[in-house]
Amino acid sequence: MVEQIFRFPFDAMASRCEIRLAAVDGYVAEELAQAAIAEVRRIERTYSRYRADSIVSRINAAAGRDRVECDAETLQLLAYADHLYRASGGLFDITSGVLRRAWDFRHARVPAPEELAPLLALVDWPAVQHEDGGIFLPRAGMEIDFGGFGKEYAADRAGALLLQGGVRHGYVNLGGDMRFMGPQLDGRAWSIGIQDPRKPDGIVASIAVSQGALATSGDYERFFDIDGKRYCHVLNPRTGMPVSHWRSVSVLAPLAVLGGSVSTIAMLKEDEGLSFLAASGLAYFAIDSAGQQYHHSISGDYAS
Amino acid sequence: MRALILIAPTLLALAGCATVQPWEKGKLAKPEMTFGGDKLDTRYADHVYTSREAASGGAGVGGGGCGCN
Amino acid sequence: MTTSRQPPQELAASLLAAALLLPGVQALADEPPQNGSISLRYLDYADRQAGLERIRAHSPSVAVTAPVASDWSIEGTLTADDVSGASPRYHTAVSGASHMQDERKAGDVAVTRYFRRGTLTAGAAYSTEHDYVSRALSLNGTVSSEDNNTTWAFGLAGSRDSIDPVNHVVVDEHKRTVSVLAGVTRVLTPNDIGQLTLTRTNGDGYFNDPYKLFDNRPRSRRQNTVLLRWNHYVDATGGTTRLGYRYYSDSYRIRAHTLSGEYVQPLGGGWSVVPEVRLYTQSAAYFYYDPVYDGTLGPPFPPGFSSGAGPDRLSSPDQRLSGFGAVTVGLKVVREIGKLWTVDVKVEGYEQRGSWRLFHDGSPGLAPLHARMFQVGLTRRW
Repeated sequence: MVEQIFRFPFDAMASRCEIRLAAVDGYVAEELAQAAIAEVRRIERTYSRYRADSIVSRINAAAGRDRVECDAETLQLLAYADHLYRASGGLFDITSGVLRRAWDFRHARVPAPEELAPLLALVDWPAVQHEDGGIFLPRAGMEIDFGGFGKEYAADRAGALLLQGGVRHGYVNLGGDMRFMGPQLDGRAWSIGIQDPRKPDGIVASIAVSQGALATSGDYERFFDIDGKRYCHVLNPRTGMPVSHWRSVSVLAPLAVLGGSVSTIAMLKEDEGLSFLAASGLAYFAIDSAGQQYHHSISGDYAS
Repeated sequence: MRALILIAPTLLALAGCATVQPWEKGKLAKPEMTFGGDKLDTRYADHVYTSREAASGGAGVGGGGCGCN
Repeated sequence: MTTSRQPPQELAASLLAAALLLPGVQALADEPPQNGSISLRYLDYADRQAGLERIRAHSPSVAVTAPVASDWSIEGTLTADDVSGASPRYHTAVSGASHMQDERKAGDVAVTRYFRRGTLTAGAAYSTEHDYVSRALSLNGTVSSEDNNTTWAFGLAGSRDSIDPVNHVVVDEHKRTVSVLAGVTRVLTPNDIGQLTLTRTNGDGYFNDPYKLFDNRPRSRRQNTVLLRWNHYVDATGGTTRLGYRYYSDSYRIRAHTLSGEYVQPLGGGWSVVPEVRLYTQSAAYFYYDPVYDGTLGPPFPPGFSSGAGPDRLSSPDQRLSGFGAVTVGLKVVREIGKLWTVDVKVEGYEQRGSWRLFHDGSPGLAPLHARMFQVGLTRRW
């Protein structure tokens, strides 16, 4: 049985995505990839802020009024979010999405403190009641969203589906968050480029990965620059201001959802990010605001 | 030699204290990193050395004997 | 367990544990895909001593491994040795040699059952020559820890050999052995793996070499080995060092040390080269006698023979039981063709000398033995 690699590019979760997998023929590959893509779209639909019928929209619409019953999957995602809140010392807060209303990255404008203050009052995960199979957001205007690890969760589910379908070589790539099913066909690891945070077409390092996951958080996805200072979409939930210590943090972990959470928390922790990465025990590649690289347990080629 | 028998397993047990995680085992999966080796190559080596030297065995049991001249 | 400078493990463990609770993010534990293979190999061996050719052997063999169902695999090998040449009747006396020509056929089969955390293998082996038949059975098992970083191995084997030499020195003799093995393999770092194996063999029966004069060995032999191996991956070159040390001791009071090392260096394009070195040293058996002969009768009679020293006393003029050191140097070149085929060629040179014995004097008076080995192999996977 001789296998080949098949590629399936698609768009989802506001990103360019791709599934690469090895299969004996195109029909088998297509069937496997379509099942995985369907799962990604299911998660996107279920947890999208923008669809009125999604569970997240229903929870947000009931803020300050009603409790909403949740299914098992949503409850587990909420439990995970709670764990991340505590592990990050309160920096990873899924109620911080409301700050979007003050930061519009299409216009290069820093919001005034008076605009941020009322929004910061709505950022309060510890006040959210999420016991007994349901969730209640106590104040009108509060919102939750799973943007902090939703894409990575989808990558893990798609990857697990493919692994159970027998795929032993390939990966799922959702906008740079990747879950691997196995190395290339000849056994060599995949060589994955880490994007240069200041050059959209540039690569700052190539990392060898063959299993587990690679997730990256960076200050270049949504941002604007004023007077040489970068304002990015990763916002500190206590000050409402963007973090600025790191340009990007990439983490290798057994699960994409773990790698994505750790890389986002490292960005949020700013100068304490490096000791957080060390405490996580995971391999990482990080670039700070001066362009200096830090890495641990990573094999591959890096520029300097 | 008794000292070696006592020390060696203790060394092996202690040496790997920082547990190697599954996603770090890529290099260990390479064939040259396993202890198997080419089966027939190892057989030939064992057979040649058993017929020219007094010592034999070490890695496994159950191979059977021969006249070996 | 870890040095005081290491950060606490609780955060790492708790994050991973929390992530693992999410539904459907891991595939259920699955068997790794099992691949089958078929290998052909050929050995050409020749040795010489004191400038004269001695033994020549040609040995083709075939090995097959195949997965069966989802939890089993079966392996089998077949070998045919064609051996001819002159084997000394005592010490290195080639002029008094017996010319021999023999064909040995051997086969073995092993069946392995895979469990979640271990394996169990049952094996049988059979070999036959004109004058020697050997049958063996074995049972080997492995048990791995949850994190797969430690694997314990156990083995038990027994053999029954029948010896019927063509010179009728003895008729229908037997030899039985029982062996046990215990070992542990440990993943030390992402680049290092180590193994310790202990074996013990008890043998009873006929151990003499019937084609050698005055070869009278004890009717039992107990052997012990300790084997330590270490494989290390070198990040800088992508190569691997494979080192091994074996200590051997037996009831003949022979003690031997073997130090072997090979270095696997991939070169790109599917090529790799593997240079190897092996150093060996052994002490003499207590009943081995040097090529110093009886004052009255001369060779091959051992000293004291003419004055009536017991004809049943233990003795052996077999060079293989003398004290010596030996060195092997070799090179193997491997080429992987596509994903399915591997070809390799191996050349080795071997030399054995009394004066090369380490730590003590070797047995005197024996000419060095030289051997060369040439192998070629072909493997196809599926």
